[in-house]
Amino acid sequence: MFSEQAAPTAQGLLAPPSAEPPTFPRVAVSGYSDCSQPFQLGQRSFCRQYAHIYSVRLAGMRPSLEQRARSRWGEDVALRKLSELQAGEKCCVVGTLFKAMELQPSILQEISEEHNLVPQPPLPKYIQPSDELFLEDELQRIKLEGITDMQRLVTGTILAVYGCEQEDGKFLVEDHCFSGLPPPLAWSGPSSDRFVLLASGLGLGSVSGEALLSTQLLVDVVTGQLGAEGEQSCAAHITRVILAGNLLSQNTQSRDTINKAKYLTKKTQAASVEAVKMLDEILLQLCTSVPVDVMPGEFDPTNYTLPQQPLHRCMLPLASAYTTLHLVTNPYQASLDGVRFLGTSGQNISDIFKYSSMDDYLEILEWTLLAGHISPTAPDTLGCYPFYKSDPFILTECPHVYFCGNAPRFQSKLLQGKEGQRVLLVTVPDFSATQTACLVNLRDLTCQPITFSGFGADSED
Amino acid sequence: MEQPRRITDSFPRRRRRRGPGRPPGRLKDKKDKDKDKVQVKVRDCPHAPSQSPPDPALLEMLRRFDLSWEYGPCTGITRLQRWERAQELGLSPPGHPLPVLPTLPADPLTLCPRSLWHEYEL
Repeated sequence: MFSEQAAPTAQGLLAPPSAEPPTFPRVAVSGYSDCSQPFQLGQRSFCRQYAHIYSVRLAGMRPSLEQRARSRWGEDVALRKLSELQAGEKCCVVGTLFKAMELQPSILQEISEEHNLVPQPPLPKYIQPSDELFLEDELQRIKLEGITDMQRLVTGTILAVYGCEQEDGKFLVEDHCFSGLPPPLAWSGPSSDRFVLLASGLGLGSVSGEALLSTQLLVDVVTGQLGAEGEQSCAAHITRVILAGNLLSQNTQSRDTINKAKYLTKKTQAASVEAVKMLDEILLQLCTSVPVDVMPGEFDPTNYTLPQQPLHRCMLPLASAYTTLHLVTNPYQASLDGVRFLGTSGQNISDIFKYSSMDDYLEILEWTLLAGHISPTAPDTLGCYPFYKSDPFILTECPHVYFCGNAPRFQSKLLQGKEGQRVLLVTVPDFSATQTACLVNLRDLTCQPITFSGFGADSED
Repeated sequence: MEQPRRITDSFPRRRRRRGPGRPPGRLKDKKDKDKDKVQVKVRDCPHAPSQSPPDPALLEMLRRFDLSWEYGPCTGITRLQRWERAQELGLSPPGHPLPVLPTLPADPLTLCPRSLWHEYEL
């Protein structure tokens, strides 16, 4: 572990400086390949409806779901489309789930003058006991009844239900299943300790500057300017830093200037300009020493819909002079030293949190992996680009490290699958609130939090 | 006296030939009810002089491809895109629209025969 290696040489600080200062070369980067091409959009065209993405999602996930259904309910289970259903016959149907929620914010209701409604304030959760589930396939939809824990499910999930159609036209579900863990990827991880630092939610540009000291401490630890020789030699094992979104704080998003008159706002500057300058300086310090992958988040200056495109390098003039800076998409997929990383900045998980009864971010992360889709609620409640050819959010291979950023607290779990999949699930906490980052050891897929605090008894975990 | 030479003289003038490959809305006496519903604007579509008129069976097949639901939603994408998507998803769409390209009026933006739904905005 990080601090155990550091402890024996901690007394180096009390000794006089040696004649020749020791140097710790950082562990060489080998085998990095960026696998997030499906998330990079070239020419964007919004002249399409979202029916296409739902159609390719269902068509793309149907084979794996049918296979799972056969293995679960028998080889001879009847797989029917909704148009072929007969009342009373036990069969299995594969389709897209739709959850009709009364409290779901609807733009049509808000702008409707007949209803004269005040727009609903944002709620933490939009679930209600009166929500209903519908299953849709290519042509029809049917109401589902009898699913236990129906509030855990969200719109857009592809699932297979087993049951029979009733006299009143509703489908009574006895059992349901998802597509399960994707097929495993071959493991070719490193044999020695190599660490990757995951941090998210730096929150620059916020009103309070408390997190700035912690951010500087993080940069100092990674670049080896903090601690004695023990800590420096440990920091030399960090091969990469991944910043998972929300580099700017929510305060930079204020839109007061839009409502004010032009003469009042002429000389004002957007808060994000100053924040991006700070980000550039921090990234410059990091990039001189370690490769950095920068993912955009909810409050960062890039497009709103998923997949978010990389930040433009013109915003970071100082740091983009270095080749160690990689501006990447959200979601991000890459292969580092043979270990496949896949992660998002947390918008998909927090959106599922709002529309389902699951409270734990790690539980939701695991659920998306078992459902076989990174963000099923896109495009219903989460903005999404109207794909037409294929849905890039479908999980085709099981990553080795699956993370989400901007979670309320740090959690990690090693998931073992039946076909030999080993996934490390990590919820990276919001740095501006918790001052905690994560260190992932690529050799044995373990993860530990590392907290930076200015005043207090906290020390490296 | 010779006529003054113009730049456009280098492009030979051709008479527009009427043929079965015309946009459907031009020939008003077509009995196909589906095409009457689609409000197609008449546009000039310059095309190379085709040696043989396009096969009406092929056109019929493309029309059926546009109307069948198995290959996914139709609006907002070109016929070629929809055909390629169906091919990738393993739905085995009939035939291939590419051989028909030179003989059908091509949309200059998408270089593909227009589907039945191309006039619908979304």
